[in-house]
Order: sequence, then structure tokens, then C-alpha cells
Amino acid sequence: VRRFRRRSLTAGLGCCALALLGGCGSISGSAGSFTPAHPDVLTVATAAVPSAGFWEGTPSRPTGGFEYELSRQLAKRFGLVSVRVRIVHFHRLVEGHLGGADLGIDLITPTEEREKQLEFSTPYLKAAPTVVVRSGTEVPDLASAQELRWGAVRSTTFVERIADSVDPEEPAVLFDGQREMLAALQAGRVEAVMFDLPLAVATANHSAGRLEAVAQLPEPEAIAVALPKGSPNRQAVDSAIRAFAADGTIERLLERWVGSEAAEAESAIPLLHTTLH
Amino acid sequence: MVLPPPAAISLKSPNGAAWEFLVLFLVVIVGPPLMKRARVPGIIGLLIGGFAIGPYGLDLIGAGNTTVPDLGQLGLLYLMFVAGVELDLGLVRVHRRAVVGFGALTFALPMLFGTAIGLALGWIVPAALLLGALLSSHTLLLYPTARAAGLSADRGVATAVGATVLTDTAALVVLAAVSSSQTAGGSGGSIAVQIVVGLAALVAFTLGLLPRLARLAFRYLGTDRVVRYLLAVASFLAAGTVADVFGIEPIVGAFFAGLALNRLVPNEGPLMDRIDFFGSAVFVPIFLVSVGMLLDPAVMVEGETLKLAGLFVLASVGGKAASAGIAKLAFGYSGPQAKLMLGLTVPQAAATLAATVVGFDIGLFDQSVVNAALVLILASILLGTFLVERSVPTVPPPEDDSERVGGRILVALTDPRQAAIAFELAGRVAAPEGGIVRGLLACPRSEAAALTPRLAELDAAAFAAGIDAESRLLVHDSLAESVVNVATEAGASLVIVGRPTTPGPSAFGSEGEAIAAALAAPVAILVGEASAIREVEVVREPERIAGGTFDADGLAIDLARRIGGAGVEVRDLDPEALRELRPGQLRLLPATSWQLLAGAADPPDGAVVLILPDN
Repeated sequence: VRRFRRRSLTAGLGCCALALLGGCGSISGSAGSFTPAHPDVLTVATAAVPSAGFWEGTPSRPTGGFEYELSRQLAKRFGLVSVRVRIVHFHRLVEGHLGGADLGIDLITPTEEREKQLEFSTPYLKAAPTVVVRSGTEVPDLASAQELRWGAVRSTTFVERIADSVDPEEPAVLFDGQREMLAALQAGRVEAVMFDLPLAVATANHSAGRLEAVAQLPEPEAIAVALPKGSPNRQAVDSAIRAFAADGTIERLLERWVGSEAAEAESAIPLLHTTLH
Repeated sequence: MVLPPPAAISLKSPNGAAWEFLVLFLVVIVGPPLMKRARVPGIIGLLIGGFAIGPYGLDLIGAGNTTVPDLGQLGLLYLMFVAGVELDLGLVRVHRRAVVGFGALTFALPMLFGTAIGLALGWIVPAALLLGALLSSHTLLLYPTARAAGLSADRGVATAVGATVLTDTAALVVLAAVSSSQTAGGSGGSIAVQIVVGLAALVAFTLGLLPRLARLAFRYLGTDRVVRYLLAVASFLAAGTVADVFGIEPIVGAFFAGLALNRLVPNEGPLMDRIDFFGSAVFVPIFLVSVGMLLDPAVMVEGETLKLAGLFVLASVGGKAASAGIAKLAFGYSGPQAKLMLGLTVPQAAATLAATVVGFDIGLFDQSVVNAALVLILASILLGTFLVERSVPTVPPPEDDSERVGGRILVALTDPRQAAIAFELAGRVAAPEGGIVRGLLACPRSEAAALTPRLAELDAAAFAAGIDAESRLLVHDSLAESVVNVATEAGASLVIVGRPTTPGPSAFGSEGEAIAAALAAPVAILVGEASAIREVEVVREPERIAGGTFDADGLAIDLARRIGGAGVEVRDLDPEALRELRPGQLRLLPATSWQLLAGAADPPDGAVVLILPDN
């Protein structure tokens, strides 16, 4: 009887294991599974291509850049063949309109407001808002920053940071895109703009000396991959970002496309002591 | 008196360190008894209490709190250290084949099952291997229950504890290998070198350097009992740090530190009492509460989490149960012993959490795997508690330690000047078993007041020999009767009775002989004083007829080897053998005949004689 009981128990446990394994059709890989909107293609929404150091080339033929290469690494990890770029205005992106793309990658900071419309991955960068001016413009302190005419891309977190932390004499001029804002800065229609630190460094590097990153604000912002609300792909993207941070992929890509100056800039660019409201 | 109006009294909601510690200690105080009243093991009270006050419960201690998790980590290191210190190395050595066999099985089978399940689920190889490692480790969470039941010297318990060294080290080696392969710069060769070098450094530090450092520190700094305790704590923290520096989990270092101090911290000694007290009162309960704080019922009951958790539990418990079953058949454990071994090796906590968190951080695991691992931890603790509580009453208590001569040594002196040599000899005799030494300063009632202050001399001499003897004054009307009573009550395995000089022409007829005649345990009469022993010899009759309870010759040779090492000279009785001793010499005389004792002269200054009456 005892032997029979033991055999029954063993058989029962075996059946349990098989049932669990069989019923695990929905259990994804250990790091989450990724289902693309279009077979074999990772579709990524971003606001501007080219964007110095982050998206090189054109939307239909991107050639490099930190965020483009990050997208390629994601595609490779998910077993997808290629990356397709979709251009969407930044304010549309953060309102949750990714234009049918799987992901939005454009130095997007997760905020409570944005989380109502989007899912966010674990952050892949943390960067201080950094002030970019025409070379020769000095911003030694808050008072001089307040005298400048500021510009910002609509719906970015910088709109609030400029108003709250810098509190300039004139309200910031809002632009639909980065390219228009940089053109206005170079033309002198605005005197200072704000970018995340690595983009600020890359923008200054690509300007042939015309622009300069002169000050950074306290309290760095997290930057994450945006996904459509309720996307089943979040776990997979999260795991991928953690893996890229652990295996040095993110550091390597930053160094390749933004340069080692980005790492040094954290200590080299002076801190602008602001009034935080 | 005019009271201020109510509006002037400003109250705020409680917060800060005092509030958080109050909440924590309330759980530690109230949780276990409440659960026990409901016939649920107390340990579950700590886990549920942790959940209740944690971020997923009442949020009294929020997710951002780092103090409780840090204290929990300390508790975990403490737990591993205690397991190492308490491990009966003599028993492990005797049953080394079973320890290695069971350790290999209880690691390999869950590892195999876990890896197979990972691969069957379509996971990549590193993730499947990490799952195997996660399931193969275990935490000696329920060891305190077995110890409280007096089973720490049980063969099955010692095997389970000894096997933990192999299991957790192997699991953490797999973890280190997988993690290195997934992080920057991890090639196969460099990972292997890192692990081998790390383990070699850890072993060299803990088993080579640490015991020497600890012995020196105990001798020169450890005259204060608080300092001795802190030295023990610092030892496992140092070993944990060394392990961490080489990328090995600190719990392995803490366990090795426990092994390193095993001989220096006798299980029933006062230092072990203190280590146990703080461990069971504070550190270990806080570790369990900190594990409870991780429990999030909302995600733990999700379908996918439960499916994964079911597989994890099956693989882990199945592997551990198969190992205990095979060990039972192969090494001859009884059914209750095998059940107890299973109960001790089923609970998962420390290494499982470490492997899970590392797997998550390096992107091998997603949130559902983490949640499933938490379910596994909870389920395994519940199952282990059930098994241990059911099996403990059915396992017979092991034979008493006192059968081994070094287990419990009582040193009874009438003259504190003999303390240094008496404790030095007692320490050496006790060392192989990690036994304890107790000191007594005996005096008649009339001399009690004068001798009480001199107790400090005994303590100082014991500390200098690396022993915490907690000496007491023995006020007596009859020395022999009092020593016999105390020795019997303490279950002494050897009594060393000090006499500064031989009482008259022979040791027979002395108080020592009276004690030896009345006691079941062996007695050694220490004659003379010496500051150090450089040479040990045994003088015995070449042919004698055994008559007493003990093999006095065998005991003399055993004691001589414990004191002087393997190269002890054993001489047969002749006039030359009884020549006058030189300073620094110790002579052991199995007192088997009047002839032998009559020829033994008083030792000169600096030399001592140990007479072993063959009662």
C-alpha cells in the first residue's frame, strides 16, 4: 500500500508539473516577451531626425546615433530584423500618440501626467537639464539667466523647469520641434535653450563652436522608453534596459555617439543655483 | 494652573526612526505568540507581520526605507555565521561522506530540475541556469528550531547544516558565473579566474588568517565580554566584506567566518550565549520581518506568477525531497531524520533572494519571475516549518557531549596561582571538540570573603588562554563533595583539580582521589605551577591489569596529545622515567599503582604533573 501511495504521489507530482508546463503557453521568456506591431520590425517613434548624436541620417535612412543604436540593440534582443522610424511631434508623443509605433524613444522623461497616457520602461539615462547658448553668452548666475530670452520645445518638461527654476523676466518662447528652436537660437531670436545633458553636449559638439553648454540645473531627470498604454511589451523592454545597463551597452553607445565629454560634462559644466518653487 | 487652549497643542503623525523601530519590534514581540496561539509556527508571524507593516500592507515602513532591509541583511549574515559557529565539525568530519553526498544531491537535483524547467519554458541558457541555482540553494531558517529541541548534534541535522556549505557555495558560484557572463567584460576565462581567486582568498582569510587574528584578539582585547561579542560580530562582517570584494555573496563569507571561529566559540560557552541571544532576539527576527515586507499579495496571486511559482516549488521541493530520500537509503538515516533534513533544506530565502535580485538587475528575469520567487520563498518556509515542527519530536536526542573528554571541562582550584597553567591545559584539551571550560575557586566558608576578590585572577588567566570560563566561587564544607556535586550537575566530561603541591607522599588519599572515586567522569589532579609547557611526556607501567572505569593509560595519552601534539613521548615506568622534571615539562601519570605514585616526586618550579587516578 505504501509503495502504491508513493508511486501515486510521484505520478501526481509529475502530472502537476506537466499540467503547469502545458498551461504555461502564456508564460513568456524569463525576461518578458516582445510582440511587435509589424512582424520582424521594431517601429520607433521619435520627434526629430537628425538630432545631434542621438539620431543621425534621415527618418527613412537613419545611419546612427545613441537612440537609434539603442533601438537596434532592442530589435536584436527581441529577435527582430530591422528598425523603422516614425516621426511624431514631441507634444503628440507625450500625449500617448505613438503613430502605431511599438515604442517612443526621444529623451522622454516619465511624469505623472504622461503616465496617464503612456507606459514607461525603467530609465536608461539620468541627465541634468543643461543650458545651451550661443558661444560668448555667459550665464554665471541665476540673475543673468533670468535676463535671457528663453526657448523650449512645446510639452517638454523644460517648459516647466524654465518657468519654475529659472523664472525668466519674459516667458519662454515655445517651439514645435528641436530644429526650429535651434534655428531661433542661432538666429538670436532666443538666447538660451535647455536640453538633457548628453544632447546639450552633442548639440554643442556638432555646432562647430557656435553653441556652448554653459550651465546645468540641479535634480537630474530620468529618461525612459515610452510604450503605448497597456502595452504587453513593457516587461521585455524593462528587462532589456536593465541588461543594457548591466552589460555596459548604454555606456558604450553614449561614448560612441555623444563622446566621453558627456561623462566629463557632469563635473565640468557648472551648476546653476536656481530658485526651486 | 492654566492649561493652554487645545489649538496651541501641536501633534503630528508619528514618523522617524523611533516610530519605525517601535513598529518593527512590536511585530517581533507580538507576531510569533499570536501565530502560536493559532497553532501556526511563530516564524510565520514574523513574515505576516513584515507584510502588514511593509509597503504592500499598512505602509508603516515605506518602500524607500533602507534601515530595515539593511538590518535584515545583517540578520541574514548573523544567521549564516551562527550556523557556521554552531556546526559540530567533529560530527561533520565523522559523517563527511554523508555531508558531501547529501550536499551534492540537494544542490544537483533542484539545479537539474530548475534548469530543465527553464529550458522547457523556452528561457535562454543563462536564465535557466540561474533558475536552477535559485532553486538549489537553501537557508537554515529553521535551524534554531532544531537547536532549541537539543538536536544540533544530531547526525541528520549536522549533515543538513554541513551540506549547506556545499549547496550555497555551489549555488552562489553559479550565480557569480551567470552574472559575470551577462555583465561588462565577462568572458568564460575571466569569470572562472574571478571565482577561483575569490574563493581562494576567502578561504585563506577565513580559515587561515581569521582564527589566528581572533585568537590574538580574544587573548589581548577580549578581557571585556562586550569586546569579545563585538569581535565575533566584526569577524563575520570582515569575512562578508572580503567575499563581497571578490564578487562572492557575503553570506558565504559569514558562514566561513562561523567555521573559522567554530573552535574558539564553544556552543555552550557564554560568548555563544550572547551571540544566540542577540541573534534570536533581534537580528534574525528582523531578517524575517524584512523578507515579509517584500510580499505583495496583489502580484503574488496573478495567474502567471502562480503558474511559475508552482513549477518553482515542484522543482525545488521535489529535488530536495528526492535528495533526502536518496540520502536516507544511501547513508542510513531514519525516517524522522530524513524528514527533518528535508525540513531544514527546503526553506529558501537568502541565496534565493540574492539570485533573483541579481537575475532581475541584469535583465535575465522580469517582474513575474521575481514575484514567483517570492511565492516560492513563502511556500518553502511554510512547508519547511511544518516538516521541522512535525519531525523534531520524533527524532531522539543525540548522545551527550560529555562522553567526549573535551566537551565540558571543570577546573576546580584552591590556589589562584595555578589558574594560568590549569586554563592553558584545559583550553588545549577542549579545543578539538570546541568544548567549554568552567572555573571554580574552592574555599572553606571562613576564607570566602578573602578569596572572592581573587576570582578576577581566574578570569584574567582564562582570558589569557583564550577562554571565557565565567569562574565562580565554590564555598564548601567538604571540597570533594562540593566538586563532585557541581561536576555532576554540569555534566563535566573532565575535572581538573588543582593542588599546588603533592599532599604528602602520594596523591592517593587526597581530595582529588576522593573526587575521582565519587565521580563518573575522569579526574586529573594538577600538581605544581608553570607559566608555559614546552615538553609533554606520559609515564606508565609497561604491563598493568586494567581495573578502573577508565583506561587511564589511554586517557593520559589522549590528553598528552591534545596538549603537546602528536609527538608526545610515552615512557614505561623505570627509575630513569621518574627523574626530576625540568621547568616547562608536563608529566602525565596514569595513577595505576602505588609504586608509580610513590616514585613521583614533587615537581620543581615551572614544571607540572597531571595525575590521572584510575578509579
